[in-house]
Amino acid sequence: MNERYANPYVMGVILGLILLFTFYTMGRGLGSSASFARIATAGVELVAPEHAKANAYFSKYIKGKRSPLLDWLVFLTFGAALGGLFSAFISNRIKGEVARGPSIGVLIRLWLALGGGILSGFAARLARGCTSGQALTGAAELAFGSWIFMFCIFAGAYATAYFFRKEWL
Amino acid sequence: MGPLYKFGWFDFTYSLQLAALIGFMFGFVLERAGFGNPRKLTAIFYLRDFAVLKVMFTAIIVCMLGLLYFSLFGWIDLGRVYLLPTFIWPQIVGGLVLGVGFVMGGYCPTTSVVATVSGKLDGLIFIIGMMMGSVFFAEIYSFLKGFYTSGHMGAIRLTDVFNINSGIIAFLVCLMAVGAYWFVEKVEQKFGDKDTLPMGSPKIKRTAAGLIILLALILAAVNPDRTVAKPATSEIQTEEGMEAVQKPAATPQTPDTTGFKIVDDEGC
Repeated sequence: MNERYANPYVMGVILGLILLFTFYTMGRGLGSSASFARIATAGVELVAPEHAKANAYFSKYIKGKRSPLLDWLVFLTFGAALGGLFSAFISNRIKGEVARGPSIGVLIRLWLALGGGILSGFAARLARGCTSGQALTGAAELAFGSWIFMFCIFAGAYATAYFFRKEWL
Repeated sequence: MGPLYKFGWFDFTYSLQLAALIGFMFGFVLERAGFGNPRKLTAIFYLRDFAVLKVMFTAIIVCMLGLLYFSLFGWIDLGRVYLLPTFIWPQIVGGLVLGVGFVMGGYCPTTSVVATVSGKLDGLIFIIGMMMGSVFFAEIYSFLKGFYTSGHMGAIRLTDVFNINSGIIAFLVCLMAVGAYWFVEKVEQKFGDKDTLPMGSPKIKRTAAGLIILLALILAAVNPDRTVAKPATSEIQTEEGMEAVQKPAATPQTPDTTGFKIVDDEGC
């Protein structure tokens, strides 16, 4: 396994250019959290179509006849999975594992991953975006709320990092 | 003139293909930077490795400068770029909770995808959690609606809040970013593991920082907002813009238009 990662500044410049290209071509930025909300919506619609339609928030994603999955961000996330796979493949970093610090068990790590996922999924819907859709994209546009949001992410994480130190260190 | 999609250069079907391509590059860069590894990601919260901040701030200032210069040259109409509206209260609470989710789960939404495809089971579990969180949000949406729509300030930018032009804001943001880089590298030297931290020559770093500050200073002096408000005032710039529009004219292969447009565009 190759633990050497690319220089963060260089990656930042490339990511900035990708984001600029996205703005230039599409008039919008990157994002991904909404695609998971859409996939979840598609699941709910499959199981209980009436329930999904009656819900004020789900119905936002199932307007008209189009599937909630036929969306720009869903395709973007699909592409991100492929790109990540390609990058991990060429540096020989694909390895089945549960990533965690040395002093935590597998099971508790998985429970914390689930808990973190639930909080993140909920928070991203509340804030109308996640680290990429709201913080990165919005900050580059100098959107006021996105800057506040970004600092709040850091504040929330730093404030609670102490309690999760055993998970990572 | 950009954004190409908003000017009808290609249709929805093509935009989805473009999304997959952009996503591919996005995922590729995140994995290169090591963002498929939650220990690398969360190291920022234990002051050991600030790669997250470096990548994010660098991407923000590069894109911000790019957008403002493109606007200045008349290559992009910023008025047609979707600007995220500010709902201050849900954004504050959402940000705080997302931060807790980040350090607890080890990922943010996009990085969990990259982790999952590189074989990490916890990444997949995180994604399942995100879907559960989204469903939970939708289920209690009727109770949350009041809070979800509170603190609405419209699609405002830092320029509106501080009432100074974009060039000066950009300059201040660049100064802040360079200051942050300097500071976090000091912190990394103290707490981080020097064997795994990417070094890099101080000379190149200084040159790059100088270049960023210079580009931002030019923007601050020129005031890019002028051209947004009154596009007709600068004739030379519009001519440059015309040329830029002509060039991509050869490339777009528009598949036959199915004829529908996204009216309700979503930014996140």
